Amino acid sequence: MVNAAPAVTVQNLVKRYGHLVAVNDVSLSIHEGEIFGIIGPNGAGKTTAVECISGLRAPDSGSISVYGLSPQKDRNKIREFVGVQLQESALPPRIKVGEAVRLFASFYPDPLDPDQLLESLGIKQIVNSSFKNLSGGQKQRVSVALALVGNPKLAILDELTTGLDPEARREIWSLIERMRDRGVTVILVTHFMDEAERLCDRLALINHGTVIELDTPEAIAAQAGGSRVRFVPSQPVNDETLRAIPGVNEIERKERYITVTGTGDLVGSLINVLAAIGVRVSDVEARTGNLEDAFIKLTKDDAFSVGKGVQT
Amino acid sequence: MTGYRPEWISHRSRVQFAELLKVQSKLALREPYALLGGLALPAILLAVFGFIGQAQPGNVGSTGLTIIDLWTPTILVLSFIFISVSLPNTLVRDREIGWLRRVSTTPLHPSRLLAAQLIIDLILAAAAVLIVILEGALVFGASLHVQILPFAVSLLLSIVELFALGLVLVALVPTQAVAQPVAGVVTFGLMFLSGLWVNPAQVGDPLRTIMYYSPSGAAVRAVLDSAFNGGPSYAGLLTMAVYTVIFGFVAIRYFRWE
Repeated sequence: MVNAAPAVTVQNLVKRYGHLVAVNDVSLSIHEGEIFGIIGPNGAGKTTAVECISGLRAPDSGSISVYGLSPQKDRNKIREFVGVQLQESALPPRIKVGEAVRLFASFYPDPLDPDQLLESLGIKQIVNSSFKNLSGGQKQRVSVALALVGNPKLAILDELTTGLDPEARREIWSLIERMRDRGVTVILVTHFMDEAERLCDRLALINHGTVIELDTPEAIAAQAGGSRVRFVPSQPVNDETLRAIPGVNEIERKERYITVTGTGDLVGSLINVLAAIGVRVSDVEARTGNLEDAFIKLTKDDAFSVGKGVQT
Repeated sequence: MTGYRPEWISHRSRVQFAELLKVQSKLALREPYALLGGLALPAILLAVFGFIGQAQPGNVGSTGLTIIDLWTPTILVLSFIFISVSLPNTLVRDREIGWLRRVSTTPLHPSRLLAAQLIIDLILAAAAVLIVILEGALVFGASLHVQILPFAVSLLLSIVELFALGLVLVALVPTQAVAQPVAGVVTFGLMFLSGLWVNPAQVGDPLRTIMYYSPSGAAVRAVLDSAFNGGPSYAGLLTMAVYTVIFGFVAIRYFRWE
């Protein structure tokens, strides 16, 4: 699935606004055909980083290569095959959806069919509506349409599904997955962890302008510290018995419930060990540590370690 | 420099620009600031002066010109002023909402958007000239005996100079909310200096000199002279040329796409 040639390489990127360091020494490489997520708290520098990649901003230092081209020096060439969806960008209030999408299609050498694109985004019925009369979700989908209509090799999508209802989000997700299946490389800036988990092949977690994690969503989620199982035993079980079960780290008791936290196949080993000593379990509720848990843990850890220097 | 341009690029840029002109024209019709100010208002003003002229026929003072003759140049320049000050209405807004920035991420440079807007406004200005001259001549019997070349040069220079002033506003005004009052004040100033309310020939110095060498006053005088005095004064044309260079420089120097 992963091609050897990186589509985008960022090395030691630094961008300051006055004396505020927005991006501080970011290095990453994005493979062709993958969906690469950039997650991080508000103000972490995500948008600034992708604006440098798309050529909208000039980095203060560091180098960026997009399919072997420099976003600054070869900006004209890059614009031909990079589709950008900006976080805060509106259309002229009286432009009609169809006009805007056809206009953007005319800018590119090999565009998608505007009608088909609007259909797949579920907004064909508003093709003759003025932009100012659209709902937030419709505006967002039009914005996505403008980023994709040029049939880009690289799509940079900033806050893709903000303001969309759950159904619309799922539709857009499957559209992005179909784009990847066609070989499009996608950079996705998001602060929705479920979106990152569902869509992204790899993720960079950015905090305070620095990449603090770069891995698959599963690997980052694993850092949340494994899974949690809550259950009711048929008869009292002491802590020593529980601690002896492989993978168990912590035990909490509340009323008749016992909650154990740990790693590995927690539910399996728990049930097997307890069954062997004649204890049945009921009301089992198991939750695997997810990306959101890891996100909160990692960004909180990082907040405590600010000033300790560059993290790796 | 004769740059090498493959055929498909030039063909594509023509297709891009045609599509852009189409959309921008539709927007200009849906947000008709320039259309109303540039075409409707001059047509109405001309009718007002036309009826005054019919009530007071004959020469004004000892000029040998009728009221309609005298006011036609002023009304033409007013039309250019209204079109010009409508530029920030759309362009400042398009910048403020991030549309120009958005366009700058596509293969189309946003300067083409500006060019399309200027072409549309140029067409409007040409239409205003036709409407005002035809209305003046056919309905109110204004004199049509002008020397075409100096007249056309004066009109064209007036348009270029005033459009450059409009672009200065686009460059300097930060937001749409500021654009409206600024455009209002500038319009009022230009209308006054053009001689709409007081005729510069009838006021003393230094106001007369200020009006003659103001952006709109110089334009009116050049058009008037080229229509009825055999040709515009070189000083008048030079005044407009200097303004055009200054406005053009400021507009280019301070223009922002985002």
